[in-house]
Amino acid sequence: MAAPNTHEVTSLLQAWGRGDDDALQRLVPLVYEQLRLAARRYMARERPGHTLETTALIHETYLRLVDVRQVKWQNRAHFLAMCAQLMRRILIEFARSRGYQKRGGGAVRVDFDRALLVGKQADFNLVALDAALNRLAQVDERKSKDVELRFFGGLEVKETAEVMNVSVDTVMRDWKLAKVWLLRELSGGRHREA
Amino acid sequence: MKPERWQHVERLYHSALKVPADQRSDYLKQECPEDEEVREEVESLLSFESSAGEFIESPAVEIAAQLLGEEQIDDLESVPLGSSTPSRFRILEKLGAGGMGVVYKAEDIKLRRTVALKFLPPWSLRDPQALERFQREAHAASALNHPNICTVYDVDEYQGQPFIAMELLEGQTLERRIAGKPLPLRELLDMSIQISDALVAAHGRGIVHRDIKPANLFITSRRQAKILDFGLAKLQGTESWNRQQVLGAQQTPRQDSDTDTSISLTRTGAAIGTASYMSPEQICGEELDARTDLFSMGLVLYEMAAGQRAYKGEQLSVVQNEILNQAARPVRKLNPRIPARLQKVINKALEKNRDARYQSAADLLTDLQSVREAVEHPPRWKEWTAASAAVLLVLGAFFWFFEHHQRTNILPAPKLTQLTFNSFENQVTSGSISPDGKYLAYADQKGIYVKVLQTGETHAVPKPEGLKSKDVDWEILPSGWFPDSLRFIANAHLPVQDASPSGSKTTTIWMISAANGATEKLRDNAVAWSVSPDGSSIAFGTNQNRSGESEVWLMRPTGGSERKLFSAEEKVGLVGFTWAPDGKRAFYVRTDDSGDSLLVRDLNTGSVVLLLPPAEAKDVMDISWLPDGRLLYSARKPGALFDCDYWTMRLDPHTNQRFEKPRQLTSSIGYCMSNFSATAEGKRLASLRWAPHSTSYVADLAAGGTRVLDKRHFPLSESSDAVTNWTPDSKSILFVSNRSGLNGLTGTAFPSAIYKQELNSDVAQGPLVVPPDGVRNARVTPDGKWVLYFGNGNGTAAPARGPEPVMRAPIDGGRSQLLFVAKTFSIITCGLSPSAGCAIAEPTEDRKQEIISAIDPLQGRGRELARFDLDPGEEDSDTALSPDGTRIAATRTPSGPIYILSLRGETPREIRVKGWTNLLSVNWEADGKGLYVSSGTRGARVLLHVDLLGNAHVLWKNVGATGETLAYPSPDGRHLAMQGWTSNTNIWMMENF
Repeated sequence: MAAPNTHEVTSLLQAWGRGDDDALQRLVPLVYEQLRLAARRYMARERPGHTLETTALIHETYLRLVDVRQVKWQNRAHFLAMCAQLMRRILIEFARSRGYQKRGGGAVRVDFDRALLVGKQADFNLVALDAALNRLAQVDERKSKDVELRFFGGLEVKETAEVMNVSVDTVMRDWKLAKVWLLRELSGGRHREA
Repeated sequence: MKPERWQHVERLYHSALKVPADQRSDYLKQECPEDEEVREEVESLLSFESSAGEFIESPAVEIAAQLLGEEQIDDLESVPLGSSTPSRFRILEKLGAGGMGVVYKAEDIKLRRTVALKFLPPWSLRDPQALERFQREAHAASALNHPNICTVYDVDEYQGQPFIAMELLEGQTLERRIAGKPLPLRELLDMSIQISDALVAAHGRGIVHRDIKPANLFITSRRQAKILDFGLAKLQGTESWNRQQVLGAQQTPRQDSDTDTSISLTRTGAAIGTASYMSPEQICGEELDARTDLFSMGLVLYEMAAGQRAYKGEQLSVVQNEILNQAARPVRKLNPRIPARLQKVINKALEKNRDARYQSAADLLTDLQSVREAVEHPPRWKEWTAASAAVLLVLGAFFWFFEHHQRTNILPAPKLTQLTFNSFENQVTSGSISPDGKYLAYADQKGIYVKVLQTGETHAVPKPEGLKSKDVDWEILPSGWFPDSLRFIANAHLPVQDASPSGSKTTTIWMISAANGATEKLRDNAVAWSVSPDGSSIAFGTNQNRSGESEVWLMRPTGGSERKLFSAEEKVGLVGFTWAPDGKRAFYVRTDDSGDSLLVRDLNTGSVVLLLPPAEAKDVMDISWLPDGRLLYSARKPGALFDCDYWTMRLDPHTNQRFEKPRQLTSSIGYCMSNFSATAEGKRLASLRWAPHSTSYVADLAAGGTRVLDKRHFPLSESSDAVTNWTPDSKSILFVSNRSGLNGLTGTAFPSAIYKQELNSDVAQGPLVVPPDGVRNARVTPDGKWVLYFGNGNGTAAPARGPEPVMRAPIDGGRSQLLFVAKTFSIITCGLSPSAGCAIAEPTEDRKQEIISAIDPLQGRGRELARFDLDPGEEDSDTALSPDGTRIAATRTPSGPIYILSLRGETPREIRVKGWTNLLSVNWEADGKGLYVSSGTRGARVLLHVDLLGNAHVLWKNVGATGETLAYPSPDGRHLAMQGWTSNTNIWMMENF
């Protein structure tokens, strides 16, 4: 796959920013490919046992795609929020594809999830987490967004606070509650609809 | 839930978190008495609080990226396991994966060995020549044949994907071993000494690793350090981070700061793993030399000592700055148990200016060895004095003096250096230091080597043409160097057919040049013993008889001009004629029916003096003249396999009589030494030091039980494993292993915990029993319910000197209980059929009789089954209960015969094993129609199948084995498990005397 045209990606991002969902559909494979390449470059320099520096990885992904000098984003926060949302999409698609690929369709519990979820009883997968996050959004949208930014977007607490326009403390409180809420949801624990 | 109520839930949740967990319920009732739904919701959420820990804390993209990065490599998995697609390898299982590729366990179909295959990501090849360069370098490092360098067998490509076929190692990387905690000091020193020795060898060949770091250092389960991935750093281009890359990384943020997206773009954390161990010159992109590895080694030492990295920056630029400009925090601040001397070594290795650093790995090695020595033998030295001969002092520092009192001045501590690093699989068999101290000539099971002691470089001596097709057992003679230190002599022993002792009949004498490894045959049918102190003659023995050689001869160093010095009487064998440093006397060993004696002969008058009679000589392992004319010898403690003491003996120069009683220098050092050679100035002494290792095997029985087929190492492990016997279903073996933990300084641990493993499994179950005092003579009862063993193993193989507590433990694990206390020198033996049960053979107090009693696993010692007379003075008897429990087989002396006693009152019978003596152990064939007997020969143990008429068939020659080699048939008679002792044998040098 040829390197995506940065101009194309930039226009797509802008279109998506204006509410064009088709633009998102076209963005995902481009960013995915970029993420894959970035990941691979990182892994090539990487040895077993070291974790990646996430921010660097994500930013390398975006910055290679987006000609930032051409884009006048409303603000940095907006840009980060869009990236997180985009990344969520990409990762969910990735998880889906891997799940099907490895198990011949159907079951989606793959290495990815196991690696991801350290909690012992966390017997679920990323796709389920995505769905749970959607349900959380109905109860408390801010907390859902919080998780999207931090977990999918790889944002720091401070960056999250900036994007959400709340204090760092609030982010932490939201984060704590969102975690137990999601964990309960995914553990098939008590489930109450709002 | 309505928003207001949800907010209520939220508030309550956070405030409840501040209350201790057990009071939360009450707290909620108090805070929210009226709304049960809200309360329940909060409680339900709180119940997940404790398990939420790491949940979603790592960003999803991190794992995604790793998986994405591996994806291409992962595609290999679509190659079904067991297929042989990548050239000649058949993939067996995946061992692990990471950024640098996927590692598989595979079988080399051509060479029939198990290997590790490491597939590198395709993008690791920067240019077409990269693979070739890497190949060259990896092979060069492997060609060093160094025990502490992971051997690369092959580097190749499979569908564009490069892979390395290498030695399959069992254990863990140093990175894992450290895992945030300092290593025990001795382990730290052992590991770093081994690694440094490997670096000495590699650097000696101009091979620099460039990426020494804990992730590239491996510790096998036998505690052997291995350097991985020589040449890979260059391939990956991680060997230097050139200036542009560094600048580029730092500039990126500035470039971005024009925009709103000024994200601190650090250079990847990916590089951190490598970057934290880079030398300053590496960071600066300068030309690298061997000293870069020494800096990295300093960082590794630091991490082993402190349990954390010396430079902890999490970002490339930060860590690079630290390495370039900051001193690491003194390691003793983090771990006060690190000796100041080691701190000094680390500091010197971490000098930023490479000219101030260690200049060679050899220097680092020497310093580490001094630290180890100071750690192992700290205090007593200062109390010792230079009053008597300096040699005594050296030995004293190492061991234990009994007599020594005067205090005058203090000498520098002697220095101990390990010179060879062979594993038990290829033991060093002999060696000798050259008179000028420059070389060590040594032999292992594969060949002869000359090691240049200053550089550590080791050269293999090519096998002479005439011996090419033969299986040769080389022997380097301790007194085999010529005074010019240019040449030495060696014996080439050919395999002995009838397992009689190896001698001149099957031996040729060779002259070897230390400079170029040229070999020249001096004589056939002769065994060389020593070179005269003036270098004019070689002493050798010839005309082999039953006990040794019957004649001592001399010849010139070029061969020829032979003359007979003296010959032995009939039936007497002579061995080991060695000149005294004055050239006027020589000692030799005389063997007859009464045993070995040590004699000294005056070469002018021919008069002979008996120094050690058989009773004293029988446990002598080796003897040598010290440069000052005294005799130094090591003697095994009675009954011990691997516990020797050092003795010296002074002779009257005129009469050659003993001047005084032999003096014992040491007490219980836990190993034995032999092959003593000293340099001419008397300052260095090299000797061979052994530590025991047990290996077990399983084979299939064929040809009516007279042959074994497909003998394989089982359990497949580097630990010391000793088979005890089978489970009743013949599917699993029980074995005792030291894998649960090593003790001792050198990893010389005796098996001490019991495990079980199925024959077709690679994994052992257990430990089932881990007694605090070790395990000896463990046996599973034929009903498969219990393990019986002696509970006074004390971590040694030596039989206990006191009463032996017989212990019982349930086979599936559980508490051990004392069953009864047996007499000293007892043996536990079990039959195979459940009705046979087990028995204990106990000598009477006066050791005149052996009494066999049944063992009741529930009650203790049962009724007496039989008794028989023991031969006075013999301790090496073995006893075995027949599979059906109706007979006892016993050896009373190693010379045989084997007695078969009926427990049903039938007449006893004797079996004379045809053609074999020195019978060490006996056990029954599964059908009771024959016996497994082991016989000791020079350098080997031979396992025999003996029928009840005494006809013997060789099942297995366990070369290099010592002690007993034991055999245990599976109850179904199809397999034979075998166990023998070998040893970790290496050469050590003492200096400063």
